[in-house]
Amino acid sequence: MTHSSCINCGMPLRAAPDHAAGDPAKTYCATCARPDGSMKSYDEVHAGMTAFLVATQGMNRSVAASMATTMLATKPAWADTRR
Amino acid sequence: MSICSSIPLPLRRPERKVATRQRLVDRTRYLCERQGFLRLRTADVARAARLSHGAVFVHFPTREALLREVAGDLGRAITDRLYEQVEGGAALPTVLQAHLAALAERETLYRHLLIEGPLLSDDFRLVWIGVQSAVAHHIGDAARAAMAAGTIRPMTLSLLIATWVGLVHHYCVNRDLLVAADPVLAARGGELVEHFMALVTPTEGVR
Repeated sequence: MTHSSCINCGMPLRAAPDHAAGDPAKTYCATCARPDGSMKSYDEVHAGMTAFLVATQGMNRSVAASMATTMLATKPAWADTRR
Repeated sequence: MSICSSIPLPLRRPERKVATRQRLVDRTRYLCERQGFLRLRTADVARAARLSHGAVFVHFPTREALLREVAGDLGRAITDRLYEQVEGGAALPTVLQAHLAALAERETLYRHLLIEGPLLSDDFRLVWIGVQSAVAHHIGDAARAAMAAGTIRPMTLSLLIATWVGLVHHYCVNRDLLVAADPVLAARGGELVEHFMALVTPTEGVR
C-alpha cells in the first residue's frame, strides 16, 4: 500500500479530509494545522504529541515528552531539529 | 515466438540490489516468526537467503538494523490495515474488531514483539509506540463519541484503552493455553469484544 504521511507527525494521509484544510496539496495533516491552515510549530506539535501519549496511553509526562522528541526526530519536517 | 522471448532477462544491478535486500527482510521475518527477535542470528539469515554472511551487511550494517526493518514493516502493516478498516465515526465495537483483524494477520510476529520488546533496543520501543498510538487514536475517537452519546460509561480514556489492550495482549501472550492451534485472535477475538463492551456499557438501574 502506498500513501503519503504527514511530514509533521507521520499520520497517514489517505483522503482529502486527512490533509490540512482538506487540501491534498498540503503535506501535513488536519491535526498539525492551525485554524488558519498554517502548519503548527515544532513546540506546538511536540506538546500535542506529549498530551496524546499521556491521555491515551497513560504515559508518565516526562517519558511522553522524551518519546515525542524521539518520534519527531524521525519525521521529515523535523529531521534537522536539534533538541 | 522466439525461444529468447520466453527467457526472463536478468535483473539490472539496482533492481538486483533491491530484490536481494527484500529477500533478506523476508527471510528475517520468516525466522523471527519461528524463533523471535532475540535469538535471530545473521548467519542464519544468510543461509536462509542463500547468500554469504558478508552479503547481509552490504544491505544492513548491523543485526539491529535488519531487525528494525522487520519490526518497522510489521508496525506499518498493522497501522495500514487498521486505517483501511476504520472509517471516520466508526462505532467502538467496529474499531475493536478492526484492531483484532489487523493483529490477527500478523499475530505470531506481533506476539514476539510483545514479549521481547522490553528487552530490545529503544528503536523497537518507537515501533511499539507507533502501533499503540495508531490503535489509541482510533479507539480514543470512538470511545469519546460513545461517552458523549451515553452509550458507554464515562471513564479515563487511557484506562479504557489499557483495559482493552491488556485483554488482547493477555490472549496473544498465552495463546498456547487458549487455543489448540494458532492463531488466537481470529478464533476467540469475538468474546473479547463482547466482554469488553459489557464492561463499559451502562447497566440500567445500577449506579
